[in-house]
Amino acid sequence: MDPLEAIRGTFFQECEEQLAELETGLLAMENGDTDPETINAVFRAVHSIKGGAGAFSLEALIRFAHVFETAMDEMRSGRLAPTDEVLKTLLRASDVLADLVRAARDGDTADEARSAAIVEELKALGPEGASEEAESEEDWGDFSFQPLSAVTLETPAAAGAWQVRFRPRADLYAKANESALLLRELTRLGEIVVELDDSELPDLESLDPEAAHLAWTVTVTGDADEAAIREVFEFVDGDCELEVTPVGGDADAGTAPLGDLDISALLAELQDSQVPVAPEPEPEPEPVAAAPVATAPARAAPPPTEAAADPAATHRKPEAGATIRVDLERVDRLIDLVGELVINQAMLSQRVMEAGFARASGVAMGLDELEQLTREIQDSVMAIRAQPVKSVFQRMPRLVREVAAMTGKPVRLVTEGEGTEVDKTVIERLADPLTHMIRNAIDHGLESPEKRAEAGKPAEGQVRLAAAHRSGRIVIEVADDGAGINRERVKQIAVDKGLIAADAPMSDEEIDNLIFMPGFSTASEVSDISGRGVGMDVVRRSIQALGGRIAISSRPGKGSTFTMSLPLTLAVLDGMVVSVEGQTLVAPITAIVETLLPKASDVHSLGGHARVIAIRDSYVPLIDVGMALGYRAEPLAATQGVALLIEGEGGQRAALLVDAIQGQRQVVIKSLEANYRQVPGVAAATILGDGRVALILDIDTIVAVSRGADSLRAEKRLAATG
Amino acid sequence: MSMTVLTVDDSRTMREMLRLALTDVGYRVVQAEDGIHGLEVLATENPDVIVTDINMPRMDGFGFIEEVRSDPQNRGIPILVLTTESDAEKKNRARMAGATGWIVKPFNPVKLVDAIRRVAA
Amino acid sequence: MNQTTPTPGALRELISFRIGAQEFCVDIMDVREIRGWTAATALPQSPAFVKGVINLRGAVLPIVDLAARLGFESSETSDRHVIIVAQIGEQVVGLLVDAVSDILSVTDDVIQPTPEVASDTAKTFVRGLLAIEGRMISLIGLERVLPDVVLEAA
Repeated sequence: MDPLEAIRGTFFQECEEQLAELETGLLAMENGDTDPETINAVFRAVHSIKGGAGAFSLEALIRFAHVFETAMDEMRSGRLAPTDEVLKTLLRASDVLADLVRAARDGDTADEARSAAIVEELKALGPEGASEEAESEEDWGDFSFQPLSAVTLETPAAAGAWQVRFRPRADLYAKANESALLLRELTRLGEIVVELDDSELPDLESLDPEAAHLAWTVTVTGDADEAAIREVFEFVDGDCELEVTPVGGDADAGTAPLGDLDISALLAELQDSQVPVAPEPEPEPEPVAAAPVATAPARAAPPPTEAAADPAATHRKPEAGATIRVDLERVDRLIDLVGELVINQAMLSQRVMEAGFARASGVAMGLDELEQLTREIQDSVMAIRAQPVKSVFQRMPRLVREVAAMTGKPVRLVTEGEGTEVDKTVIERLADPLTHMIRNAIDHGLESPEKRAEAGKPAEGQVRLAAAHRSGRIVIEVADDGAGINRERVKQIAVDKGLIAADAPMSDEEIDNLIFMPGFSTASEVSDISGRGVGMDVVRRSIQALGGRIAISSRPGKGSTFTMSLPLTLAVLDGMVVSVEGQTLVAPITAIVETLLPKASDVHSLGGHARVIAIRDSYVPLIDVGMALGYRAEPLAATQGVALLIEGEGGQRAALLVDAIQGQRQVVIKSLEANYRQVPGVAAATILGDGRVALILDIDTIVAVSRGADSLRAEKRLAATG
Repeated sequence: MSMTVLTVDDSRTMREMLRLALTDVGYRVVQAEDGIHGLEVLATENPDVIVTDINMPRMDGFGFIEEVRSDPQNRGIPILVLTTESDAEKKNRARMAGATGWIVKPFNPVKLVDAIRRVAA
Repeated sequence: MNQTTPTPGALRELISFRIGAQEFCVDIMDVREIRGWTAATALPQSPAFVKGVINLRGAVLPIVDLAARLGFESSETSDRHVIIVAQIGEQVVGLLVDAVSDILSVTDDVIQPTPEVASDTAKTFVRGLLAIEGRMISLIGLERVLPDVVLEAA
């Protein structure tokens, strides 16, 4: 691959990071963050994008970034106050910058009118007379990167001979400049004749090694003009005396050469002159602060211990944890291998048990340790992939701004728990459902400003996006402070679509959850914003595909909250291994509240196959897993099995009846969809110690289907006959 | 023996650009992401020249140069400042801190190599 | 993708196998490996021709009883049965067959089009017919072997 192409790729990747940084900073400022480092970080993000864009001659991007940068510089220097208005403009500018970056990357053109409008707004923020073309004299295009071989040094047009009188001061050496190198540079401009003036070199006894004692007069003959000669001394301007005069022109330059020297002789002399005081051939640097160690002759070679004792050394300790970049494929490979290791370890354990080793035997104890270690390795490997949800949360402010603009509803997005970590694969698959839910919250959840005013609420609606860890899962909430679910209307829609019977008795919770039903929302009634015919049922399905659950709670007049609960990783799960009708199944332990042996007196039939079981004071549905999955046609007698009391995401309880419990085990999650498809009631598969595939139960679906199948079918029948 | 250049820049793009330009002419390149990191690298590598950005998180170019110069062992290392900010104030601040020279971004590889040659053997 | 782009005269290799008295073949480019039968874990809510899933070196592989899929009587599985592990698009699927018989090298012009009289099942799966040494072998296309993505009602 062309190395420049690769760098271009790096640039655009880096731009995405800078854009995220930019937005985060601006949002923090909007929330009252006045830390100069925040402003600086924002400035730096724009500045970096401009810098890289310059290297690739991305003109539109450079121009916009320049105006943006100028505004940020005003703010950085305190001349522009970060008022709400200003920050709103800057946020819009960050959106345009993002569009320009993507347009540059894809070779498209961004919306020029929009960009031009923001440029005007930004200029209005900037200093008087600031212009978009402020740096055009630098001619960005010319600086673009080209292979060295393609460039030849230009020979300046002016000809003749120049006399250069050059007397360095100590400062020149303190900045690590070297006279010899400067003189060598002059040789590139033409033929040179150098005279050394060592008249000010003192006796050795009185020599100050930090001072400068030598001067040179150089005659340059060639095509170089004065500017080219002065350019050689550009870095030492102010740290030396420099006179450049045309030879034979000015009488002022008339000191007669004392003797001709060639450059190598000069270098040799330069070294010789320093040998007595410093064995190293370099010119004497002068300490910035007169450190005592810098006195001759001790400074010649400071012992390493001094460097270690140097207070500056403490600055070398990293302030943030050191990081490395690793190819994701390598991590994935490692995770796969550890997964295999876990399976192998389980197989080995099983074989050892089957071979009849006692629990207390050395082999069994060694295996226990192996299991412990394997688990730790697995946790550590998983941690590598864990990332804060910030990366997906960061995409939401822009979405909110856009939807707010489209709907004409002022919205404030509040995010919490951005640092909550979850597996990278989970994060990647969160973006779509979150996008949809946030659109939905603004479009359907929040009222118009007028309605809010009537209800005595502030005109600006609020959408809250929060993440937190809860009992081994990540819980993400999207809440709005809108009107709450209009249950009358939701129920009516469901009736109209034949999803429920008109007279079906339903709790508020059940009505709210109707919005997740397939077919509840259709393209015809979904507005542009809430999306192209995508309903909440799709959101629920994508969350379920991640092994997650979603629930809604709503309070009239106060707003709605969607709560998603997702596994921290898609790779492993703590499971309860159970038997059902000769099949081995795994139930996620997180859902299980307790296990119990049903007593005949606690189980009651509700007609048909519907049963409930009394658990302490309440009755919960008893669901025969074998029936639910179609493994058997007749239910198991409750007393023949074991019941797993489970609690769903919405807090609803049920008891799952299985034949027997085999034990608890951490299992590696294998996708069924990779080679097959989603199977109702099954969340995923795993491979057990015996090498066979076992299915992992999707408890919520089993509960919902068992309930829904009975109630919904019954209601449909009623609707049909009634 | 080829010369070692330490490049200090928070932008990956810039670091890669520098690496490409410098390795193209046979220099060995070691990289750091900011001033603090630059000091760490400096502790283990012996660069012949340092090329540093100014605007960086954690420790900016000025702070970095001051730290480098405060160690007597590092006083002789030429430091070139890499910056888009060509104004005199930035250059002067860099020089006050002890910078040897500067390169204006976006750089032309010829100018970059020229500047290095002007400060290092 | 190879079997769907026949070029006249181009040589291709086919793996032929038996289901009952019938012979079929698939493009060798679609076949990843052939392995013996191991008991599958049954999948709920699945069509009868899906025998279940097995563990193939850490991946979960669905097993399709090709006899049942093609509309023949599903056979009782035994150790004599063979699984052809095939790549179908992005997915890897095991095809349960009675026995693998041969590798055939043929040019595309040997493959005759499926006659119009064919049943729906044949239209779905049979891509052409070969007459080899007096035997008729049906060339099977695998795109539709798995059940349709649309979930059957639970």
